[in-house]
Amino acid sequence: MSAQPLVRVRMRTACQHSEFALQVSNLDLVLDNHQILQNISFDVTEGQFIGLLGPNGAGKSSLLRCLYRFFTPSSGQIILFNKTISSFSHNEYAQQVAVVLQEMPEHFNLSLYDVVAMGVTPHKSLFSPLNKADHELIAKSIEQVGLVHKINEAFAHLSGGEKQRALIAKAMAQKPKLLIMDEPTSHLDVKYQIQIMELAKAMGITVIASFHDLNLAAAMSDSLLVLQHGELYRSGAPSDVLDAQLLSDVFDVCAEVSQVSCPYRDKTHIPHIRYHFGYQL
Amino acid sequence: MKPLISLLILLISCFFSALVAIKHGAIDINASAVWQTLFAYDANVFEQKIVMELRIPRVILAFVAGSGLALAGIILQTVTRNPLADPYLFGISSGASFGVVLLITFTGITAGWAMSGAAFLGSALAMTLLLLIAYGQRARQVEAMLLAGVALSFLFSAFTSLLLYWSDPQAVSAIMFWNLGSFSRADWQWLWLPCSIVLLCMACMLLFRRGLNALLLGDESAATLGIQVAKLRLGMLLLSSLLTAVLVAMCGGIGFVGLMIPHLVRFFISQATSIGLLCTALSGGLMMIWVDLFARTILDNQELPIGVITAAIGSVFFLTLLTLKQKRP
Repeated sequence: MSAQPLVRVRMRTACQHSEFALQVSNLDLVLDNHQILQNISFDVTEGQFIGLLGPNGAGKSSLLRCLYRFFTPSSGQIILFNKTISSFSHNEYAQQVAVVLQEMPEHFNLSLYDVVAMGVTPHKSLFSPLNKADHELIAKSIEQVGLVHKINEAFAHLSGGEKQRALIAKAMAQKPKLLIMDEPTSHLDVKYQIQIMELAKAMGITVIASFHDLNLAAAMSDSLLVLQHGELYRSGAPSDVLDAQLLSDVFDVCAEVSQVSCPYRDKTHIPHIRYHFGYQL
Repeated sequence: MKPLISLLILLISCFFSALVAIKHGAIDINASAVWQTLFAYDANVFEQKIVMELRIPRVILAFVAGSGLALAGIILQTVTRNPLADPYLFGISSGASFGVVLLITFTGITAGWAMSGAAFLGSALAMTLLLLIAYGQRARQVEAMLLAGVALSFLFSAFTSLLLYWSDPQAVSAIMFWNLGSFSRADWQWLWLPCSIVLLCMACMLLFRRGLNALLLGDESAATLGIQVAKLRLGMLLLSSLLTAVLVAMCGGIGFVGLMIPHLVRFFISQATSIGLLCTALSGGLMMIWVDLFARTILDNQELPIGVITAAIGSVFFLTLLTLKQKRP
């Protein structure tokens, strides 16, 4: 039994409001004459948690950058809630999509509160100051990630896990409908890896996150996208996607995949990967 | 609220410092004469004439220059995300010196508004080159700007030194004095220019403060908050260059203020708030009023160059900062 597959054959219906949060079709990205992404198509159902996998240089970050409009695709279409993403204004888009990146403001003595407060930026016009509701939203976001006791501390003095949680609080204050995270769990302790993912899930919105830890991705995601050499190699529910053949073909490792029972979140089984060592690469 | 109190304290100290700076100088003037100048000006009274024609414009120019340089510093530090950026790192003042040296070597003029004009043109040239480079390098704008700024700075210094090498000693000392900065050229006729540019700059910074804050997160994160990063950066760069060019043209080279004041204020108040920005501007002005007062009173019948005092205070400040930071875990 697996969660229903998310990435499915596109069905054009007469219905105006589809259940898709995001529809990507025939996406190509060429930068400096290098083909970075090639013919990528997938749909994301609203409210799902998508794990993006692939070895270094497969194009994970580039795909995410296309999704949050930092890169403009060379061809293809990206549709967010039934609207082409290029038709959004900068502010409108930021109201829909929040992004958690590895960039950290290290200097300038910004406090945790300052950083989280930046989340409301897309909802404010040039002249309007922060009002009571904004302050409440910021305080609530900080509370949700459990950093109330650090509210006035310098962001630079927080630990890696706390920084990442603060950035998630910033994304919460942004009130988005889609959350994109580029390797949010790298460099974090196991505890914080799980915590960050639970926080993202708790927002109750559509999430797309890239991962290095395949087991974590398998446990957290409703659906996986696996990239290789800029192409979508495979997609679907974790149990359908992850197998020894894929690990060998895409990640170039020798491993066995077993299904372990999982009592959480109406899943019964999730794939578990055990890597082998001591073989000639 | 703590930041609000700091702002009030700064405002009050700026006001009283200005009064003290107006009273003291080559000759001391009592408070009632200052009072009378302000409310019942009589141009025939010698003391009142000093206050009106010399002291007040000078104190205003010092205040405006200080706040302007502090604002230019905070803008450059923010848009480059480099806490060591300052208006003089980007070759703007080297450009100004180059303009002045050109003027002196080829026309022999060593005083007056021709020098300010030449300084402005020189810094405008440097600024245009820098903006063109930043505009052409949209992808890696910050790195390109920092490197180009340093390179331009050296380029103009080289030309300046070459021209100085060929010119006579009188010109060399004139350039030297100009380069070290002074508020002695303050007069009512031109005061509107730095005042309006500093006000414009402050207004723009308050208006775009969220965008500026978001830039501190990083270019990509700022873009995901709906900020048009390249546009905002170029606009702010243009603004700070204009500000620096006008101030350098009027007061000569005054280093370290743009670097030091934003650092100092950041220790106490977050620069992400409007109050933080206002406090930075006021602190810059406050410091400059006192530096100018010291410059003209510390030695009898002689005025010290402003740039020497700010650079001396600035270096000591930085060494202290460095040791303090090292002690922190």
